[in-house]
Amino acid sequence: MTAAFPQADPPLLVMRRVTKRFLNVVALAKVDFDVRRGEVHAICGENGAGKSTLMKILSGVYTPDEGTIEYRGEPLVLRGPQAAQDAGIVMIHQELNLVPHLSVAENIWLAREPRKGLFIDRQAQRQGALACLSRLGVAISPDALVSTLPVAQQQMVEIAKALSMKAELLIMDEPTSSLTDAETGRLFKVIGDLKQAGVGIVYISHRLDELAGIVDRVTVMRDGQHVSTKAFAQTSIDEIVSAMVGRALDDKFPPPTRRPTGEAMLEVRGLCRDGVFGPVDFELRRGEILGFAGLIGAGRTEVARAVFGADPVDAGSVRFEGRELRIRTPADAIREGFAYVSEDRKAHGLAVKMTVAQNITLANIAAVLRRRCLVAFDRELAAARRYIDALGIRTPSPQQVVQLLSGGNQQKVVIAKWLFRESRVIFFDEPTRGIDVGAKFAIYELMDKLAAQGIGIVLISSELPEILGLTDRVAVFHEGRITRVLDTRATSQKEIMHYASVRRVDGAAPAEPTLSFLAT
Amino acid sequence: MNERQKDLFQKFGALAGLLILVAVFSATSPVFFSMGNAMTVALQVTSIAYLGVAATCVIITGGIDLSVGAILALSGVVAALCVRAGAPVALGMFAGLLVGAACGAVNGLCVTVLKLPPFIATLGMMLVARGIALQITDAKAIGGLGDSFAELGNGSLWRIVKVGSDGFPDIVFPGIPYPVLLMVLLALAASVLLRLTGLGRHLYAVGSNAEAARLSGVNVRGVTLFAYVLSGTIAGLTGCVLMSRLVTAQPSEGLMYELDAIAAAVIGGTSLSGGVGTISGTLIGAFVIGILRNGLNMGGVSAFVQQIIIGAVILLTVWIDQLRHRR
Repeated sequence: MTAAFPQADPPLLVMRRVTKRFLNVVALAKVDFDVRRGEVHAICGENGAGKSTLMKILSGVYTPDEGTIEYRGEPLVLRGPQAAQDAGIVMIHQELNLVPHLSVAENIWLAREPRKGLFIDRQAQRQGALACLSRLGVAISPDALVSTLPVAQQQMVEIAKALSMKAELLIMDEPTSSLTDAETGRLFKVIGDLKQAGVGIVYISHRLDELAGIVDRVTVMRDGQHVSTKAFAQTSIDEIVSAMVGRALDDKFPPPTRRPTGEAMLEVRGLCRDGVFGPVDFELRRGEILGFAGLIGAGRTEVARAVFGADPVDAGSVRFEGRELRIRTPADAIREGFAYVSEDRKAHGLAVKMTVAQNITLANIAAVLRRRCLVAFDRELAAARRYIDALGIRTPSPQQVVQLLSGGNQQKVVIAKWLFRESRVIFFDEPTRGIDVGAKFAIYELMDKLAAQGIGIVLISSELPEILGLTDRVAVFHEGRITRVLDTRATSQKEIMHYASVRRVDGAAPAEPTLSFLAT
Repeated sequence: MNERQKDLFQKFGALAGLLILVAVFSATSPVFFSMGNAMTVALQVTSIAYLGVAATCVIITGGIDLSVGAILALSGVVAALCVRAGAPVALGMFAGLLVGAACGAVNGLCVTVLKLPPFIATLGMMLVARGIALQITDAKAIGGLGDSFAELGNGSLWRIVKVGSDGFPDIVFPGIPYPVLLMVLLALAASVLLRLTGLGRHLYAVGSNAEAARLSGVNVRGVTLFAYVLSGTIAGLTGCVLMSRLVTAQPSEGLMYELDAIAAAVIGGTSLSGGVGTISGTLIGAFVIGILRNGLNMGGVSAFVQQIIIGAVILLTVWIDQLRHRR
């Protein structure tokens, strides 16, 4: 399938028919994948396509249920991440794995400290760190505490750490997600050097526009399966995207049944938190789904949390149903009928040790109290059963501990909690992250149904197809401000991406495509 | 097994352990299994049980209270000083309760407003309260408190005494000692609070995931503060009852009781990471410790060996609990 790409040597890594199941869910089904020395091989796919699972197998976190891995021409069985590192397979994780209270140099050499007799050779440690950092061309002191560095610099430290390990196979999971253009440029230069040195690189990125500069081959995955592998020169971004999605957009999203009225129910004016976002203005209309689009870190979550009272604001006004609100805490917001379905269910959404029923009534325990004091269990269970049925939550009983449910069902429990509170404005923050395709569709349908009942919905999503497929209007964020509010039917990924990347609020639509990938 | 069955399994596990202990001690000591000794055990367990209830409420929120032993001493001493200064017993003991509640409130404010880790906040209070108790009494026991002060700790309900034909009093029924009665009432009230009320539900929610609770509109600060005030108040109550039982107020009383209380809760299945725990479990835990002490005492086992055995029992039960959760 890649005959056009000349390569004399046998590949550095060959994975054949690798399969991985979690309980009954097939995360990877007979996936073939290979990496050659000195090439950058990109893996593209939507969330849940199986990219991360594949990489976790490669870095020794998971063991495959079936299939073989051949590395440097020999069969490879990895017993844990350490074994992978010892074999020269190094992964740069998307989420940073640094110890905040140690210095940059200490982090780079963590658990591999150069020694002089019994003691750590601090001099060698510092020098080694400095060498890796200067190779990346970044001015970070090896003595700085990691906790004092901004995220982008932490990312560079993570990359420097990987460099210090003398990897033969380097896996990069969204390495540029928090880097500036200049930093990305330097990283690409280092990747070029590594290629020259014969290192094989697996590159995962959602920013398809980046691929052009560095990638040799592209593998597309979808729903745990291998779709295609092609030389980058012989494919196009469009082809990659359609291979990733695999079907027309209409199939992925339910047909809308809602009819937004055009009447504003929520008006936010001049909302601002110094150094984080703002000033931000937007309005939410009755029965509509308003998208918040933008890159990670553009301030979408922060604005939603601020309106919900979860974080403080420095200025701004919130009008709801014609009344000025003073929201200081989530409790204030909930009293007004606001709800927030958080990005991180386990950290912010659920009391995971408690039961489904207890979580559903958590935000509205007063509704199941008898004589305003004692919990009426019959009423609580009846309410829980009602929402379990209505939302199709798959749980053996309302008494099941939430921890034991799947991601999709946990998300439905969070939504049920807010429906039981009779919320009238719901912020959905990346509601389908880490959820399988079937459950996603159910959640999409539910959002549409809720909007049809007159609930105002804000959908924060980093997946543009989701924004385009679900919303009525899109507010595009860039660096803490809304650069443009677009009518979803009249816009395109291209236009949204443009406003997500411009640095100032300007009126004109892009006359020329400005992003590199659009030129292909 | 669903969670309810698991819960029962856990409780019956501890309960079975308790019954085995009773059986073993009954077999080895002729006097162990008697009404008289049962009352003795029940009385001895009361302090651990009260404080265990307090510990359970705090630990469920994900906190810990190390100061209950010291608050107990301070409250008892304050009650005794008030009584000796001429206050009625009820008023003196009420003052003791208030002192306990105040200490608990300081703990709670340190945790919620100053954001100190509960371990540190209550460690500080442990030293401060004990110090005050020793300071205001000159480290001396307060005696001569009179019969009415001793009533709460030594009296009983439904005690039936007949004067026999030989002229001596004949105890038909020893009655239920007030401390035991109080233990039952306190446990029932705490159970109702935790299981049936909205506040109780919120205690669990805060311990299970404080941020999720906050984002669900739970007043996390208020709930946490309540747990510490409750704990302090119960410690104050324990102090009054204990000093009344001893008829003297000892500023050095209650040393290390907080550890017994935490152990009782943990043996009873309360999770130190918060969100999990029941009063019934804690009571069983308190009785496991109490019966072990009593039985070993009767068997002539030295106090030092007792410590070793109780320590081992705590390790064993918690390990079994962990195994159950790891599955």
